[in-house]
Amino acid sequence: MRHVIFFLDRDRYALPLDAVREVVNAPESYSRVPHAKDAVKGVMTLRGRVVPVVDLGRLLALGLQPPGKGKVVLLELVRRELGLLVTEVEGIESIEKVGPQGRASRMVRGLARVGPLTVTVLDVEGLDAAVTASFSSEPERNR
Amino acid sequence: MAAQWDTSRYLSLFVSEATEHLDALGKELVRLEGGVTPEAIDSLFRHAHSVKGMAGSMGYDPTTALAHSVEDLFERVRSAPARFDRAVADLVLQAVDALGGHVKAANERKPFPDNTALIAQLKELTQSLRPGTTPLPSAPPANAPLLETAGGPESELPPRWLVTLRVATHSAQPGVRGFLAYKRLASLGNLFRCTPSLDEVKAGRLPGGTFAVELESTEPEAAVAKTVSQVADVELVSLTRVASAPPPPAPEETKGTEPEPRVVGQEPPRTVRVRTELLDEFLDLAGELMLATAGVREVGRSLQEELRGRLNETTDRLHGLVRGLHDKVMKARMTPVSVITDRLPRAARDIARRRGREIELILSGSEVELDRAIVDELSDPVLHLLRNAIDHGVEPPEERRMRGKPPRGTVKLSVKRASDRVLLEVEDDGRGMDVERLKALAVERGLLTAEAARDLPEREALMLSTAPGLSTAASVTDISGRGVGMDAVKKAVEAVGGTLEITSRRGLGTTFRLSLPLTVAMVNLLLVGLGDDVYGLPIAKVAGVVETTRASLAHSRDVPVLQFGASVVPARELSAVLEVPGRPHDVAAVSPFVVVDTDDGRVALAVDALLGQEEVVLKALTRPLDQVPGLAGVTVLGNGRPVFILDVARLERPNRLPAVGEA
Repeated sequence: MRHVIFFLDRDRYALPLDAVREVVNAPESYSRVPHAKDAVKGVMTLRGRVVPVVDLGRLLALGLQPPGKGKVVLLELVRRELGLLVTEVEGIESIEKVGPQGRASRMVRGLARVGPLTVTVLDVEGLDAAVTASFSSEPERNR
Repeated sequence: MAAQWDTSRYLSLFVSEATEHLDALGKELVRLEGGVTPEAIDSLFRHAHSVKGMAGSMGYDPTTALAHSVEDLFERVRSAPARFDRAVADLVLQAVDALGGHVKAANERKPFPDNTALIAQLKELTQSLRPGTTPLPSAPPANAPLLETAGGPESELPPRWLVTLRVATHSAQPGVRGFLAYKRLASLGNLFRCTPSLDEVKAGRLPGGTFAVELESTEPEAAVAKTVSQVADVELVSLTRVASAPPPPAPEETKGTEPEPRVVGQEPPRTVRVRTELLDEFLDLAGELMLATAGVREVGRSLQEELRGRLNETTDRLHGLVRGLHDKVMKARMTPVSVITDRLPRAARDIARRRGREIELILSGSEVELDRAIVDELSDPVLHLLRNAIDHGVEPPEERRMRGKPPRGTVKLSVKRASDRVLLEVEDDGRGMDVERLKALAVERGLLTAEAARDLPEREALMLSTAPGLSTAASVTDISGRGVGMDAVKKAVEAVGGTLEITSRRGLGTTFRLSLPLTVAMVNLLLVGLGDDVYGLPIAKVAGVVETTRASLAHSRDVPVLQFGASVVPARELSAVLEVPGRPHDVAAVSPFVVVDTDDGRVALAVDALLGQEEVVLKALTRPLDQVPGLAGVTVLGNGRPVFILDVARLERPNRLPAVGEA
């Protein structure tokens, strides 16, 4: 299955190409979303559509510096889109075997090898659930 | 099955719209007695044309033919308004009445009356009005029975009634009232021997305020009385049977046996007209209901599990009902695109004539429906695209011949429904757009660097034609070469949440494709600035604005309060309410405080700046944005910036409101 390979800081990550609509340059500025958690960058407009954008490094709690300018990987979900801010997009590679990884997270499917390199393969549904949670004021905050 | 349902649905639309146009035609004809202007004739033409178009789309050939001959007559009269006289008016009125008969027949699914004679008369009159001919001697008197008898096969004539009517002496326009009553009666059957003559009636010259007319109709007496009673200021004096030429088959009718209970036959069924503002209000209320339902659900989250389950069940049901209501309101707002396109053939003809082009305009899909707000907004842009296509797209006939194209250019305007969008395309087979010239112009005007222009993909280069001040028009013409038009078209399309795409092939033509949402909701906003961010507050919820310093606020039980009118309201920092970083502020500096009505009473919200008022299209929030508390929707401002619209009524639900200075 073909995957989009991208960087978060210096580490490689992968998302299934099927789920990616397009990659665009990150906008100069975002409109801030009230009550949202830190991982939420805000919303941007793309050809008239309002698209929420999340800093993927923050969402994965990697403790990275936010990417300077970066790229936005647009995930195409059912009748809506979701933008993930990443450092840079590398290309498209075929990934067949995904092995387990140590860190238990619904957002991560596992590790895979692309040539000599190791990439972390992400789980679209898990990401979506985590993003949704980061936009709602519940449950962790203020309680 | 579906087709069956569709036909009946369009039938009621046809009946109500055609009746509307025919009524307007009749009214305007009467008004024309004063003086004839080309504009007035244009208006008559449009009504006839609309009826023709509608009948055509329903497949009612006899109606189309009749309307067509009326249209032809107007077309001729337009170039010689002076020739519009009583004779013309009378014949047209007869045709209008006959068309009314067609609409009635269609509505009752009966065969159309045969109007060959009338059509022949119309044609004859049209012929006689050719430039260079003298006016027709005189048409037959207005009250002569020129109308063909409705209903072909049964040769028996329907019963004839002498209807005597009185127009109230206090009536401001006795002529109009009398004529209206006459027209109403005409919908029941055929009219003869109006005394005094119909012209006299129209002029309001009624001896003793009464006039009489003979009506040949199969309708029961009650229907006649009811019809008359629908006209204000007119009363029925008497209704008596008279013998018509062949003695009527009296027996069965005199007992008052009703043929069928269709007393309301002459009114278009099941449609009412509603003020458009009312439709807007309905939509607002339905939207508010949805937000309120979401509020109830929110409350449920703080309940114990068992109670929450029961509440959620009810809330789900409530939500379903409100959703259904919202859908129905949206449906009621749907308007066919024909509202715009009906006038285009006429406009195309005019533009083509003025620019020396030969044009065939092909319309399709005009029955597709859109929210009326979108249809309203599209009216001018679509006309502009049509002008562009004819003026800049299609070449003059000689040039087309040279290029081996047929001298007559084709402009297609098609409307299609594509899932939840409507695609409107304006396609011409003209010269196409010159991408290189567009790029060169853009570079020349400093919109692009030469380098950027070189790398610009064609699709985007074509969009340069929508940049303010750019146009491929060789000359500035009075029609569309000013280069401001496409800019406005794009803006209007985007303002309703649509997109514009251009494809063009040199020498082969250009297509403008508008992708439009089916529905929109408009909301009037007060835009406020908070740091670098902008938020929208629905004006309906804003009670006022006070400019003051934080230091001057009074305190009530440690809560800062603002004097507003005769009362005091608690004051908050909007940034704290929204949990977004605020700008450090000087307590001695003047700030605007926007006083809003929330569900928990009035609150004054401190903001950094007031940025003005704007009417915007409200977009619904999709996941995950719909998870954010306190938002009513989002909109995109003209500068492309997304702005959240705050659900003012429930602003404080997620957290307790922190007071000014606390955050």
